[in-house]
Parts: sequence; structure tokens; C-alpha cells
Amino acid sequence: MESLYLIPSMPGLSIAIWVAISMVFFYFARVPMHKAIEGLMTGTAGGLRKTALWAKSVAEAMREKDRKVLLESGVASAQEKIMQEFRSVEAGYAKHLSDYPKLQLKLDDNITHIEADYKECGQVTPEAPGWSEVVETIARAQTSNGDRIIEKMLGEIHKSAVAGEKKALSEFRDTAAKRHKILASMAPVWRRLEKLSHDINKKVGSVLETSGRIDKYMTQFEKIAAGGPESIDMLSSKMTKLFIFSLFVLGVAFFGAIINFQLIALPMSELVPAGTRIGGMMVSEISAMVIVTLEIVLGIFLMESLGITNIFPQIAGMMRSKRKILLYAALFGLLFLASVEASLAILREALAEADAALDRSLAGETAGVILNETSSRITVIGQATLGFVLPWILAMVAVPLEMFIEASQHAFTRIFILIMNLLGHISDALAYIIEALFNLLSHLFDAYIIIPTQVANLIENMQART
Amino acid sequence: MKAMTKYLLISIVFGFAAAGCTDNDAYETAYCTLADVSGTYAQEKDSVARIIKAGILPEMIPGDSIFLITIDSNSYSEENLQKKLVLDYQPSESNAQKLAFSSTLDEFAANLTESRHTDISGAMMLCSDYLKETRAGTQVMFIFSDMQEDLPKGVVRKFNEGEFSGIDIAAMNIIKLSADSSNPDVYRGRLKDWEANSIKAGAKSWTTMMDPSKIQEFIQKIK
Repeated sequence: MESLYLIPSMPGLSIAIWVAISMVFFYFARVPMHKAIEGLMTGTAGGLRKTALWAKSVAEAMREKDRKVLLESGVASAQEKIMQEFRSVEAGYAKHLSDYPKLQLKLDDNITHIEADYKECGQVTPEAPGWSEVVETIARAQTSNGDRIIEKMLGEIHKSAVAGEKKALSEFRDTAAKRHKILASMAPVWRRLEKLSHDINKKVGSVLETSGRIDKYMTQFEKIAAGGPESIDMLSSKMTKLFIFSLFVLGVAFFGAIINFQLIALPMSELVPAGTRIGGMMVSEISAMVIVTLEIVLGIFLMESLGITNIFPQIAGMMRSKRKILLYAALFGLLFLASVEASLAILREALAEADAALDRSLAGETAGVILNETSSRITVIGQATLGFVLPWILAMVAVPLEMFIEASQHAFTRIFILIMNLLGHISDALAYIIEALFNLLSHLFDAYIIIPTQVANLIENMQART
Repeated sequence: MKAMTKYLLISIVFGFAAAGCTDNDAYETAYCTLADVSGTYAQEKDSVARIIKAGILPEMIPGDSIFLITIDSNSYSEENLQKKLVLDYQPSESNAQKLAFSSTLDEFAANLTESRHTDISGAMMLCSDYLKETRAGTQVMFIFSDMQEDLPKGVVRKFNEGEFSGIDIAAMNIIKLSADSSNPDVYRGRLKDWEANSIKAGAKSWTTMMDPSKIQEFIQKIK
């Protein structure tokens, strides 16, 4: 450092001389210096601004892609719902309308029966005309004429007329009673007719209900197909909900799988004892994990062949008979694995008990019974049940897994867009700070060469005046 | 092309599997127990056997190994190895082995032989040889002694550098001699010397344990 001193005995003066020299130098180099500062600023801040633009454009492109995917999936989902309703209508028509001719026949039979009954009711036996007036006239003639023969004859006529009237009245009563009986027998037919009409109403009502649902889905479908921002927001929120829910269920299933694994890991070491490890895990532990994974895989195949999920289009496109074979194979496999797990759970309990007995023995206790037998049996039954049930519960994982696959694309795209936007904003902010710093540097440079600048200005002014 | 891809995939899978396959040794623990049968400590055989049975054996898992070595007048000898046990990977079999080892310990406790001198260093060196041979991931040495070395004439013991490398050493159930009771500094100084010498010889750690119930906690800590 001292070698740089122009006057070694006066370091202050030496530094001052160097500063003065540098000022003059920088004054003459001010234009390239400004260009250099500007170039550096453009290089760094400009690069960051380009990065920000790129990040934002990538985010925008991803958003657009996500929007299209959402619309496509929304349209497909709405179409599927409508198709499902049409299928249900078709099934309803096939079922109910096939019954309709029978129903109509029944209705016609009942109506014919009622008509016949009605006609029968209408057939009334006519009353003998004028008999009461004749009998009354004869009765009066009996008292006015004194001829005994005529009187007797008239008396007989009167008697037979009265008897005839009584008979006619009796016949009329009988006929009326018959009619009432017929009318009474019509009541169940009326009730049957009422029931048939109720059945028809119910069936027509269910068809109308389905039609209403189809209308609703059609409106929804039209809205989605139009691709408005509202439908995109709705679909996005639906997907996010689906993602969170499926993630939660998968998380629960993951812990279920861990419990399942813990249940069979120890007995597996009894069945697969080996001194080798793969990736730090014992072979028996890997075997236990393979069993748990197989249960999940079989569950996926079971759900696929039942048509509950649609992860593999090849399975969905299979013939019914082949799908049935797959279904039975998956069911049998699950049943087998569940039985294996139940037996392993029993073995685990036996091993745990043996361990406990050994520990007690090593601790110096006599081999007395510490656990009572009943509680021990309950544990065994509990573990065996758990071992049998858990595989079936794990088999259900296919449903949330499909939901997760469906929703994860949107969720991950959203996260990616968020990261890209963040990168864009950070790059923008950094570019702004760097620009400000370089501007400050430029001003500080101007301030450093202020003395030679002012001197030069003064000389220029003086020259201009002269 | 298709066949080539198939073979390539198969070789990748097998390559990964082979690379992933590791020997169990790194995950296993080797225990070496040194039991002093000299002088006053010879009376402690019963409690030594009890501590090993109740404290160490239950902590052992399939694949672990244990050595029982006696500390006598000249301990650096194969004859001092009383019993060596490597637990089977089958849990039921390993339980049977533990029971058999427990019987050996009972026999050891019932044995009345007693040595005149105390060669702790020789036993430690023998123990180190056996432990290193196991190549176990965790190697631990338990010394049951009063830690008062008394070498016979002509016996020379010097720890090499790295003699106990990778080994955790625990001095257990140390009984105090009459001189120790008179002046605790003698006892503490003796233990300090052992610790310094062991660490200098590469021991991973040195622990002095008075309470045998802490043995499980200690094993869990070093594993």
C-alpha cells in the first residue's frame, strides 16, 4: 500500500492526489462509465424482467390449459350424469311400460265388469198398472150393490187383486235387494280401479321426476359447455374439494395400511426368516408390505370390475363375462389374503405371548400365569378380526385413489401456477431493486466527479462569454 | 428393439435390486459382556448373571450376537470365552436360544472358581477382537468388575490406537473396594483413567452405570 504513496512522508496528501487524479480520470471516462452502468443494469434487471415475463406467460399458459381440462372434464362429467339418467329412464320405461298392457287389460276387465253390473241393476220388474185403483173401485161396488153372487165374485176378485199386489210388491223387494247386492259387489272393483290408477300415477311420477333431473343436468351441461368464468370457478372449487377430501381419505387409508403392516410384520419374520435386507428393510418386512400392497391392488381390480371406478379403460371395455372372471378372481384373492392376515394375526399374538413369557422368565419370575385366559382370548379374536377386516377396508382405497388422480392434476397445476406467479413477482421486485441501485450508483458517480464537472462547466461558460 | 428394451428393463430392475440388497450386519448389535471372576468380585457372579438376563437378553433381537468372557489372571485367551451366541432370524428359535443362554449364565453363576489376578485389559482386547469380527453396526462392551487391574508378573497389556474403534463401553455394577470407600478420589481417579485410556484407544463412548435398570435406556441410546 505504501508503495502507492506518491509522497511517502505525506500519506494524506498522496491519497488526496490519487483522488484528484481519479476524479479527472472518471470525468473524462464519464460517458463510457454511464454506458457500463446502464449495460450492467439492463443485463441484470432486464434479465430478471424477462424471467418474470416468462414465468407469468408460463403461468398463463398453464391456467388456460387447466381451464380447458376443467371444461373437458366438467362436460364429460355432466354428459355422464345425463347418460346415467337416460339409462335410468330407459330402464324405467322398459320395466314399467312392459307392465302397461297388463295394467290396461286389468283396467278394461274391471270397467267391463262394472258395466255389466250396472246394466243388470237397470233391469227392473214393472209393477202391475192400476191394480190399486181397481181394487178400491171393487171395494166400493161391494157396499152399494146387494147381489150376493156378484158381491162374492167381486170379493174374490178383490182378494186375488190384493194377493197379486202383495206378490208384486214382494217381487219388487226381491229385485231391489238383488240390485243392492250387485252394487255392493262392485265396491272391491272400484277399489281395484283406484289402486290401478294410483299405480299408474306413481310410475308416471317417477318418469317425470327423472325428466326433471335430466332438465337440471342439461341446464348445468349448457352452462359448463358455454365455458363462462362462473362455471370454471365452480368446477375448480369442486376439484379442489375433491382433492382435499380424497387426500384426507388416502391419508387415513395410509395409516390403516401401517396398522395392517404392523399386524403382520412380526409373524412374517417367523415365516420368512432371512439375514438379507433390501434398502435397509428386512425381507420379512418387505413381504408384509407386499401383502398389504397386493390387497390394495386387488381392491382396485375389484372396484374396476364392479364398475365403481374407471382407472383402467381396458377393464371398463372388457366383455361382461371377462369382467365377471376378473371380479371373482379379485374377490377370491382378497378373501385368501384376508384369511392369511387373520391367521398371521393369531400367530403374532402367540409370538407376543411367548416373548412376554421369556422376558418374565429371564427376569427371574416363575412361569406363572400372569394374563388370565379370557382376556388373552379376546385379544386373539380381536387381532384375527382386525386382520380379516382390514384388507377389505383397504380394498376401498381404489375409490378415493381415483378421485385423487382425477383432482390432483388440477391441484398440482394450481400449485405450479402459484409458484410461477410468485417467481414472476419476485423477479419483478428484484429487477426494480437492482434498477434503483444502479441509478443510485450512477448518481453517486456523478457526485464523485462533481468538482471536475463544475470546473469544466465554468470554463465552458467563460469561453461562451468571450 | 422390443426384446432389447425388455432385457434392458430386466437388467435395470435386477441392478437396482442387487444394489439395494445389503447385509444385515450394519443393522445388528453385538454385545460383549466381561465378567470379573477374580478377588472380591467373584462373589458378584450371581448378580452379573441376573443383570445380563434381565437387562441385556430381552433387548436382543433376531440377528444380534452376544459373547460372555471372563476376566481372570490372563484374560486374553480363547478359553475365557464362555459362550458365544448369534440369534436366529426366526423369533421362536431366537427365544429358545435366549433360554439356553440363560441356562449357561446360571451355570456360570453357580461356578465357584476364582482367579488370583485381574486382567481387565486382556479381556477387553479379546472382546474387541470378537466384536470386530461380527462387523455389527452397533458394538457394545459391558464390563462387570471393580475396575481394579492386577496383572500377574510378565503379562503386558497395551491398547493399540483404534483398539476399541466403533465400540461403546459401559462399566457396570462396579463395586467399591475398601480403599475406594476410604478415599473416593481413588475410585473416581481409577474410572477416569479407564475412560481416558479407552477413548484414546478409539472407543466411541465410555459410560459408568450404577443402576442396572438404566441398561435398556443405554442400549436404546447407542443403537
